[in-house]
Amino acid sequence: MNNNDTNDLPVSRRFFLKGLGTVGMAGALATLSGCKDAGKPSGGEGWTPQQYNAPGSWPVQVRGRVPIDPNNPSIVRDDRKCILCGQCAEACEHVQSVEGYYELPIKDDITCVNCGQCALWCPTGAISERDDIDKVLQVISDTKLHVIVQTAPATRIAIGEEFGMPAGSIVEGKMVAALKQLGFDRVFDTNFSADLTIMEEGTELVGRIKAAGAAHAEGGHGHAPTALPQFTSCSPGWVKFCEYFYPDLLENMSTCKSPQQMLGSVAKSYYAKKKGIDPNQIVSVAIMPCTAKKFEAGRGEMNSAGAAAGNPELRDVDFVLTTRELARMIKGKGIDLAKLESQPYDSLMGEGTGAAVIFAATGGVMEAAIRSGYYLITGQNPPDALLNLTAVRGLQGVKEASLEVPGVGELRVAVASGLGNARQLLDQIRADKAAGLPPRYHFIEFMACPGGCISGGGQPKTSVPPSDWVRKARMKSIYAIDATIYKKRLSHENKEVLDLYADFLGKPNGEMAHKLLHTTYTDRSVHLRAKTKA
Amino acid sequence: MSKGVLVDMTKCFGCGACTVACKLWNEKKYDEVNKPTLGDAAQLVDINWTVVSKHDVTDGSGHEAWRFAKKQCLHCVDPACASSCLVGALRKTEQGPVIYHPDLCVGCRYCMVACPFNIPKYEWDKSFPKVSKCQMCYTRVAAGEQPACIAVCPNQVMTFGDRDELVKEAHKRIEGNKQLYVNHVFGETEVGGTAWLYLSDQPFDKLGFKTAVPQESLPAFTWQILSKLPAILVGWTAILSGLYFFNKRRNAIAEGKQDSTGGPQS
Repeated sequence: MNNNDTNDLPVSRRFFLKGLGTVGMAGALATLSGCKDAGKPSGGEGWTPQQYNAPGSWPVQVRGRVPIDPNNPSIVRDDRKCILCGQCAEACEHVQSVEGYYELPIKDDITCVNCGQCALWCPTGAISERDDIDKVLQVISDTKLHVIVQTAPATRIAIGEEFGMPAGSIVEGKMVAALKQLGFDRVFDTNFSADLTIMEEGTELVGRIKAAGAAHAEGGHGHAPTALPQFTSCSPGWVKFCEYFYPDLLENMSTCKSPQQMLGSVAKSYYAKKKGIDPNQIVSVAIMPCTAKKFEAGRGEMNSAGAAAGNPELRDVDFVLTTRELARMIKGKGIDLAKLESQPYDSLMGEGTGAAVIFAATGGVMEAAIRSGYYLITGQNPPDALLNLTAVRGLQGVKEASLEVPGVGELRVAVASGLGNARQLLDQIRADKAAGLPPRYHFIEFMACPGGCISGGGQPKTSVPPSDWVRKARMKSIYAIDATIYKKRLSHENKEVLDLYADFLGKPNGEMAHKLLHTTYTDRSVHLRAKTKA
Repeated sequence: MSKGVLVDMTKCFGCGACTVACKLWNEKKYDEVNKPTLGDAAQLVDINWTVVSKHDVTDGSGHEAWRFAKKQCLHCVDPACASSCLVGALRKTEQGPVIYHPDLCVGCRYCMVACPFNIPKYEWDKSFPKVSKCQMCYTRVAAGEQPACIAVCPNQVMTFGDRDELVKEAHKRIEGNKQLYVNHVFGETEVGGTAWLYLSDQPFDKLGFKTAVPQESLPAFTWQILSKLPAILVGWTAILSGLYFFNKRRNAIAEGKQDSTGGPQS
């Protein structure tokens, strides 16, 4: 074949160019015709809940969600799980009266009392406690550290639910066994410091009543410790709420720390001294039904033991885990709580009375304080009727009672659980104060969460919203422990508490007690503008 | 009637519900670690069509304060992105939204250069990337519904409606509370107006808004020159061609050679 004979090529140049031109024209035509149909614009492939998909711009009644500061020490939110159902906002505004009770624009804070009720209401678990399990596991694995743990009254009747047991199952001994198996060096009971709280708070109350009696002729209120009614200070959500919205009533707040913080400061002082352990080597963990306790442990002033030992950086309580976190931790180690043999709390700070365990239920602190207050005033134990003060028990939002105490006369008390309910009493107190009326009550117990700690923001989740039958079942168990299981029902009979006073603290409300067991409050109203009428 | 949204930033407390609604409705990925939608580091990126950014400011009484600003495409009345797009992948709809058609896009990213607010983002993580930006829930708007982010807002920070009405409403609100608001509706005149309008108690630049933008429409600005281009091109072609043939003929005559075809002789 002659290579120079171009006519023999299978494709001629003309044919090739013609072909190329045709394809080009076809392509251009196809592209141009395609341009008429621009295709589907991006977006709009997904969904939003049905209530948001309606013509017009009428607002949906239950919408959006609560704001959560990314630095919130108590709760976190995972946006991937949020379905904008609005239930958190319902709980925050209509149960706790926080959201919607301050003016917009905001100041320099996302107003949150850390109660965690939104986490209980959240149907998808988008809102949950800030998980501190890893930090606790790390300190446990450090053999140089002495890790102690305390368990709140309300944990022992709730954690069983996480292991398939019926609501309200009493699993105190099993929980202690699980904690020991997890590697905590000592397991103490917050019941111990609840009894201690009663000694301090009861003594404070008696002092306030006596001071008021001495100055009854004078109008208005004296300096802080004499203001009546005295408010309980065990619930950190409630305390922060008061600091935000009712700072003018902080003088009524008991100066006592909460049981968690009392045990923390006593552990790093009294316990450290007794056992000859350097407080800096002690890590204090608390198991709580509460997310606000995480915030409370981080409050700047909660370093009494460290300050006394010369290290202000040392926290009284280092880590707080909610009941839910403890359950996850136990499950993570493959421990079946239900099958464990019960074990007792460790001594020195492990004894608790029935008066302490009822702290878990709304009205419980009041009842416990009355039992020991009666003793502190009269020197005698209260009559049996005062051991079952049904007037302050139950799920009702606001409860009242009055009783005759020899030497004082009529003692009027009130109990509120749920911050929306607390508002009713607080507004009334404010109005009375403005009108120059004498206080209606001597003592008021406030709990941030409806039903008290048994339904705290860190407790096992129930139905959504949290169901009353579970609250009642837990409450029933709490009162059963008080009435039938524990041997003692009066805080002032707690032997370990009495030893603590004898060996270390001196007397209730004494100098040492003030240093370690009492605290101060912060006016947080500068961080918001509270609505005058919500 | 062209729709718009009035955003009153004094009412925002930073819950970020709008950002979640956007993700749900548009099936965008979540990446709170690297591409947060809320807070100090919040930024509009390919997967974030709307964000709520946090800004530390000083409030009217001289105290430190937090402000939150909801950011997304402002849906210009006369969008520069659409005018710059070679293939018409970005289009302003009658109802207001400026929407993006990925099937047409050739990926030139002129829109990203053209946008005065730096809104269109590119999917840099993908092998075959597209441009990505808020579509103002155009299907919802077409169905008479408000965009997803507006419907879910617990504080009704945003109001959806006819843009003209919203401009009036914005001025009414400023008049009603002169102590609170700065006397400016962001988006009323910026780049010739945007569908999204903003009220604030803070200077807008403090909330991360680009305030140094022209007050007239950007496409209108370039239109003054670009609209004349076809005439200029055709005109010049005609003039230059005429000159060419004129010179050619003159040269041929000068050389004394007649050529009826006008082409060079072989």
